[in-house]
Amino acid sequence: MDAIPAIRVVDIRKSFGTLEVLRGVSFDVHRGNVVSMIGASGSGKSTLLRCINRLETPSAGEVYIDGEPMGAVEGRDRPLSEINRMRRDLGMVFQQFNLWPHMTVLGNVIEAPIRVLGMSRKAAAALGEECLARVYLSEKAREYPARLSGGQQQRVAIARALAMRPKAMLFDEPTSSLDPELTDEVLTVMRELAKAGTTMIVVTHEMGFARDVSHRVLFLHNGQIEEEGSPAQVFGNPKSDRCRQFLSKHLQ
Amino acid sequence: MGNWERLVWNQRGVLLQGLMVTVEVCLIAFVLAVLGGLALCLVRMYMRPLKPLAVLLTEFFRATPIFVQLMWVTYVWPEIFGWPNSFFTAGWVALGLQSSGYLAETFRAGIEAVPRGHREAGYSVGMSPVLVFGRIVLPQSLLTVAPSIVNQFTVIVKSSTLVSVITVQDLMFQALKLVNVWYEPIEILTATAGIYIGFIFLVSTAGKMLADMLRQRYGLAAA
Ligand SMILES: Nc1ncnc2c1ncn2[C@@H]1O[C@H](COP(=O)(O)OP(=O)(O)OP(=O)(O)O)[C@@H](O)[C@H]1O
Ligand SMILES: [Mg+2]
Repeated sequence: MDAIPAIRVVDIRKSFGTLEVLRGVSFDVHRGNVVSMIGASGSGKSTLLRCINRLETPSAGEVYIDGEPMGAVEGRDRPLSEINRMRRDLGMVFQQFNLWPHMTVLGNVIEAPIRVLGMSRKAAAALGEECLARVYLSEKAREYPARLSGGQQQRVAIARALAMRPKAMLFDEPTSSLDPELTDEVLTVMRELAKAGTTMIVVTHEMGFARDVSHRVLFLHNGQIEEEGSPAQVFGNPKSDRCRQFLSKHLQ
Repeated sequence: MGNWERLVWNQRGVLLQGLMVTVEVCLIAFVLAVLGGLALCLVRMYMRPLKPLAVLLTEFFRATPIFVQLMWVTYVWPEIFGWPNSFFTAGWVALGLQSSGYLAETFRAGIEAVPRGHREAGYSVGMSPVLVFGRIVLPQSLLTVAPSIVNQFTVIVKSSTLVSVITVQDLMFQALKLVNVWYEPIEILTATAGIYIGFIFLVSTAGKMLADMLRQRYGLAAA
């Protein structure tokens, strides 16, 4: 294991008003590792991911990307413009795909490389084609998202995130709003990313995927990590009762 | 049939001239309405200190009857602002201002209809708030409201018949002038109504086709 983890989460807390959603969560994700996060609805999984890439500002705690703190520079709050810059190191894939409907598939993928990284349209297009090939959608480059199936849209969203060459990818239930017959094509792409050594945090209800692909599994309960370990450990011999109950409901 | 020929067909030059003025007034008013509506909406949503002013203007333009607004711009503005200096200008200003109030609300609905996730997807690839607004929120909301904007044009056309009152020589003005010459309103006014209906039908058909295109191509439902 290298000394500096790709993502280090230290004692993250988050409250919405009086509702305490995250109550001190800490974990590391090492380079090239896949961490799966499981837990009941409302346990705070999405909030945790959103705190990591700062779509939500944590109430306390810090997230380090390659050792660099997201929320602070030289002991002071990091200005919003710089947080924007750091966010591009973390690719995010949402449950609802969130493709931009007024841009073509390729347009979605190359938007940020052009506007944020300042790439030329030509170089961006080449990069975009390469990313679309990785999700097996080269032939859809000129379509608009509305013409694509849910599974295809989600794969475009993955390509869009990959095009920024992020240091890590965050997936928030990427297959939860897909029909069952469409989840496999997305999971296949994710397995290949994992095999290629992509650092990933995956919030999922796909226990098969979590067991086969992850290096570590976190079980979140009530805003805290209730159980954590290798997939064999968490799925085979969970220590906590709540985790055992959760798994018995989700592993049939 | 003789009457139709004498009163309408033989006068087609005059009526056509009036129609051109109507189209002209409406187009200029429409441009003002779109730009003014967008400005009112953006100030209201994104410039906190000026928000009350934008709300006040929006509500004022929407709530004032078009006839009152027309009189007000025509006879009060020159006293206060020294402008407008022609009835024609007063006509499109009044028409444009009223529609800008409605369009401000239309634009706002369009912007609010952009799902939060679309903005967050922009932030998560490192886009700044300005980029997210300019590249994602604004284009998408403009497409969403485009059919409503086209429909607002038909409202302007209908309201524009009132500018004849301040002697702008639009279609309605020419029609009334012919009626006053011949004292035979049936054919002239019926034909005039027909021209307005045809014009408005064309515009609203264009709006429907646009809405269909947006739905099929981009999956965008009208806001
Ligand atoms: N912006 C917000 N404002 C107020 N409460 C919020 C907000 N976002 C999340 N919450 C609350 O925080 C709690 C955790 O939500 P979160 O979305 O993180 O759960 P989750 O584990 O992702 O659940 P699910 O499996 O349903 O996606 C919920 O009670 C939710 O209502
Ligand atoms: Mg969630």
